[in-house]
Amino acid sequence: MEAEVLFYIYSFPVSKPLLFTWIIMAVVSLASFLLTRNMQKVPRGAQHFVELLVDGIEKLVLTNMGPEGKKFVPLILMIAVYVGFSNLIGIIPGAYSPTENLTTTFTLALIVFLVGHYTAIRKKGFLPWIKGFVEPYFILLPLNIAGELSQIVSHSFRLYGNIFAGGVLLSIVYMIAPYVIPAVLLGWFGIFSGIIQTAVFTLLSVVYISMKIN
Amino acid sequence: MLEIAIIVAGVIIGCGIALISGGLVGIGEGYAAGKAVEAMARQPEMEGSIRTTMLLGQAVSESGAIYSLAVTLLLIFTVVLPLVDRLLELL
Repeated sequence: MEAEVLFYIYSFPVSKPLLFTWIIMAVVSLASFLLTRNMQKVPRGAQHFVELLVDGIEKLVLTNMGPEGKKFVPLILMIAVYVGFSNLIGIIPGAYSPTENLTTTFTLALIVFLVGHYTAIRKKGFLPWIKGFVEPYFILLPLNIAGELSQIVSHSFRLYGNIFAGGVLLSIVYMIAPYVIPAVLLGWFGIFSGIIQTAVFTLLSVVYISMKIN
Repeated sequence: MLEIAIIVAGVIIGCGIALISGGLVGIGEGYAAGKAVEAMARQPEMEGSIRTTMLLGQAVSESGAIYSLAVTLLLIFTVVLPLVDRLLELL
């Protein structure tokens, strides 16, 4: 399932997911710059919305990980904003969700996996971390390793499967009934399902990291 | 040519059977949501943590359906589509 290459920049292939990731990065950077330029003690307008988002993520992380989770807030916020924008950009005609590609979601799941294990090694030390794999019995070692690796697969395939299946179903409906009905389904798959999947992906990232460090 | 057609038919039937798990997961997740509504009606002040726990449990129990979806997509894109292309060439 290779992503189609749109054009080359000096023999560097730019595929569809990469291009739309850049667009999302530009939009988010510009929005962050414009929104933080003129911050006030008493928020007005768009500052309300952004403070709500940051506060919500911070509360989610702190209730799941305790006070030591403070340093994970930027990472989780990045995942939430990126996945949310990626899911919602799909409702624009002609645009392409980067999360519709397995590489994107797999990379995000891999980042969460590596951060969790790196923090666990830093916190517990190397040998106790290794010892965690042979509990409760040594014979369960392969099962424990398989369980850890299947976490990446289920985490990434959940988001990819939902977004991709929504896209496939929509394109089939476009072929059968091109008017009115796709608009309703676009609201369902694009907006509702996109926001729910963003919440689930973010929540699972927090829980997977907190499971490894505790 | 007949062999290829039989392979395609078998794989497609297998994909359909794999997707039954989607319906079963739907039953399970609906049950979890119903229980969450009961709990929220009993203790409305715990609504936030009940919703978080419900979403988490549903997301984890959804893994079975996600695996079957992944298997189905892989089968269709790596096995069925090339075979169908070859079938159309032979026709």
